[in-house]
Amino acid sequence: MARDHGGAKSGCRSLRKMKAARFMIIALLIWSLGPLAWQLYTSFCTDQALVTPFASLDQRWTLVHYQSVLNSNPPFIRYLFNSLFAGVVSTVLTLLLAIPASYSLSKLGKRSALFFKCLLIGCALFPYVLLFLALLEIARYLQLGNSLIALAIPYAALSQPLAVLLLTNAFSDLPPELEDAARVEGLSVLQRFRWVLLPLISPAIASTAILVFLFSWNEYPIALTWISDSDQLTLPVAMARIAGSSIHSVPYGPYAAATVIGSIPLIILVMVFQKPIVSGLTTGAIKG
Amino acid sequence: MPLLILLLPSLILLIAVFALPLFRYGWLSFHADSVMTGLVAIPNQGANWQRFIHDARYWQDLIQTLRFAFVSVTAEIVLGLIIALILNQPLRMRALIRSSSLIPWALPTTVMALGWRWIFNTPYGPIDRLMQSGLGQSLNALGEPSIAWITTVYADIWKTTPFVALILLAGLQTIPSDLYEAAKLEGASSWICLRRITIPLLLPYLGLALMFRLAQAFGVFDLVQVMTGGGPASSTESIALYAYWNALRFLDFGYSATIMIGSFLFLSSLILIAWLVITVARNRAAGVYAK
Amino acid sequence: MVSIVIIASSLFGLSVVARQPDHVSILMPAPFADSTAELVKSFNQQNRGRIHLNVIKGPLETEAISDLAISSLLLGDTPFDGLLMDVTWVPKYAKAGWLESLDNYFSNNEVSALASGASEGNHYQGSLLRWPLTADIGLLYWRTDLMDQPPRTPQELESISQKLQSSGRVPYGYVWQGRQYEGLSCVFLEVIDGFGGDWFSAESGQIGLDKPAGLAAAQWLDGLIQRGVSPRAVTNFNESEALQSFKSGQAAFMRNWPYAWAELQKNDSQVKDKIAITTMVAQTGHQPAATLGSWGLSLLKGSAHPESTVEAFKFLTSEESQRYLYSQYGYTPTQKAIFNDQDLLKKHPSLQSIGEALAYARSRPETPVYAQVSDVLQRKLSGTLTGMTSPTAGMQQAEQSTTQVLEAAGAAP
Repeated sequence: MARDHGGAKSGCRSLRKMKAARFMIIALLIWSLGPLAWQLYTSFCTDQALVTPFASLDQRWTLVHYQSVLNSNPPFIRYLFNSLFAGVVSTVLTLLLAIPASYSLSKLGKRSALFFKCLLIGCALFPYVLLFLALLEIARYLQLGNSLIALAIPYAALSQPLAVLLLTNAFSDLPPELEDAARVEGLSVLQRFRWVLLPLISPAIASTAILVFLFSWNEYPIALTWISDSDQLTLPVAMARIAGSSIHSVPYGPYAAATVIGSIPLIILVMVFQKPIVSGLTTGAIKG
Repeated sequence: MPLLILLLPSLILLIAVFALPLFRYGWLSFHADSVMTGLVAIPNQGANWQRFIHDARYWQDLIQTLRFAFVSVTAEIVLGLIIALILNQPLRMRALIRSSSLIPWALPTTVMALGWRWIFNTPYGPIDRLMQSGLGQSLNALGEPSIAWITTVYADIWKTTPFVALILLAGLQTIPSDLYEAAKLEGASSWICLRRITIPLLLPYLGLALMFRLAQAFGVFDLVQVMTGGGPASSTESIALYAYWNALRFLDFGYSATIMIGSFLFLSSLILIAWLVITVARNRAAGVYAK
Repeated sequence: MVSIVIIASSLFGLSVVARQPDHVSILMPAPFADSTAELVKSFNQQNRGRIHLNVIKGPLETEAISDLAISSLLLGDTPFDGLLMDVTWVPKYAKAGWLESLDNYFSNNEVSALASGASEGNHYQGSLLRWPLTADIGLLYWRTDLMDQPPRTPQELESISQKLQSSGRVPYGYVWQGRQYEGLSCVFLEVIDGFGGDWFSAESGQIGLDKPAGLAAAQWLDGLIQRGVSPRAVTNFNESEALQSFKSGQAAFMRNWPYAWAELQKNDSQVKDKIAITTMVAQTGHQPAATLGSWGLSLLKGSAHPESTVEAFKFLTSEESQRYLYSQYGYTPTQKAIFNDQDLLKKHPSLQSIGEALAYARSRPETPVYAQVSDVLQRKLSGTLTGMTSPTAGMQQAEQSTTQVLEAAGAAP
């Protein structure tokens, strides 16, 4: 790195930089996508080909791993739907709570707003995995176990810090004259909220929603303790359970097929929503 | 006042999910509540804490967890900074690069933890095959305590570096370019620019990334649970995993709660210290810059 | 007349509709759920309209299924009626108050019809809590194409291996389960008993790890890796990895459970028809030991249909079911009568060796804190096998930690 900068004095600085950048980009792509490519390759190999990759085999490629994963009971697709459902419910609940909270936070006095923000940052810094035991007890007392809808409660709580901080920034960025003008026009609080403020912060809402969704989709320790019914499992827990569910002597083919199937929805999601994700993350970082 | 009412539901939920458990753990940590008591809580006068202080396994796990957190977070920040500096110039295909570097971060940890188990498998995984044909010796990556923890660090770096790079990239883009031009006019080299302009102005972002990542890495659970199960010889066991096993495998809730509240107190003080150090460093950097 | 028949039949039909069958569910590890699928089908056919049995397929690994069962039970409102349990769970589940006694459902005659090894580990504090489905035991698999007689002592096993390795007939001598998990405790139990020791006695509270036999056992296992009799990678092997290695002809001996027999006789096996089984090696003058890994059915407290659940247990463990499970999947039967079944013995000569080995079955320590005790051993032993500590230091630490765990749990007598 230092050398690149040292060489910058010479005339061909930008060309060199371009080359270095291109090299880094390729390295970055290989780094990020290489392991996934290997899983893709593995998922199409026969067991025999996995154990002896260099031997000449009559049958090297197969779809049998995908069949075994898709035909399992319950079918693997089920877990994707469970995760989708838990993700959507959690996102909606998070936003329902976070939008009013962040609106009020953006209107509060500086002192109290700072106090609440510090509280939220404290929660965000908390390694929430340490909460699992108490949350398990809560689930038992309130009979919330094995319910994907109930799972939205802890998820919404865990997403509150991020969601409230992001949305408060968005509300604070709006010029205060705007709301005053709407008030003069005779719009009620709800009307102002619905017709003036919400449309203006919708990009921030989109970023928040997608980040909360990703979190809920991927959450593991709480889903692990709250859900034991195999029909209700979310994807991450189902994946971990597959790890111990095969009697094949080399069970890595089905694992790989499961990782591929489990990755596809997220890859699509990231591709489509790249912009709001990045903007959510970066505004979170810059202003949080 | 109506403003506070809007805040209330969110606040209640936060208290229920964050504060309530901590109080519950504090209470449980002074009780025996395990399979031997028939899962009933009986006060035990701080015996849990006594055990906690003398529990060599906990302290080993704590050291391992800190080792994991520091090594992986340092590597992520250094690598992330390099990547961010490279990406911080006009590039074609920026969207594609961004999305593909986001993919590792967006995947559930357990999905790739399984993948890593296969990639580091002895003797059939690609890494081990490479080692066998290159060095003629098996690496036994997941079976050797001195290596296994590095594979978990590697898996974490793979997942999180792109994320750190994106945060730092956002920070880089807030630095006005005329600062660099002014420095160049005064004959400063790129290295000086990096040290005097980029890093000081990036410090808040570095500090932020550092704190968030350290806190997250401190609670590492999914990765080691699926990838190594804490082995070999417990060399990859983290405190979260130890607490989990005490609760769900050993059915000792009192002690599990003690571990969690103890770790929480430890982490809080750690973050407080980190916060102070960063604030001091930031103020000093700002002071230098003002001169 | 016709109208009466119609009314009667419609009443009858109504009563059938009104009486919902008892829905009974049992959680089983994945392989058991797969292998009992046919039995469950015929049970449901026989009891149509009366009982409907549903088997919930859990994960494969013992630890994983235990975690799942425990988290289900902790979540409350018992999600299933029965649970297929590993032998080591019984004291823990009993102490936690999750199990219903089976004393009223099984007669003394039924209990005494169990084979000697299979009758162990079903009781806790005097009451019957588990009914065995299969009596897994640890066995030594050996290659008949490489030797005429299996080794009887640890020294013999090592010298035969080394001879075969130096003549280049196999790359490795002996493969076993050396990863840090329950399998390692099973391996160790056989070795320490073979050296005349005892790991831990729940009755007397005696720990035998830091005793001559415990040290000898750890030294022997460590030596196998040091001297190249077992591959280094054995420290990350579980059953399936050991099986993979043995199946592809990489080793002369393997320690595994009876299920491996059927796997090794499949067509893709390199050692098909070249293997036999025997008991684990033991020092001269000591009896060999076979770790009892049996699985059995337990009735959970809070089950809505205890009678129907026990009926399902009885069906799944009947002589006929056991014959089916043995001949189809190699599950070791639990009833004496089956080991004397001449037809079965003729078809499956290996049944005799299993029956003989069953006499040497040894339970792991029967205590509610078994998971902790075993975990300590696994950690320390894994540390020794991976070269972090010497066998002596490892066993000393294991004994110390075991004492601490027992004291902390209040389980020390």
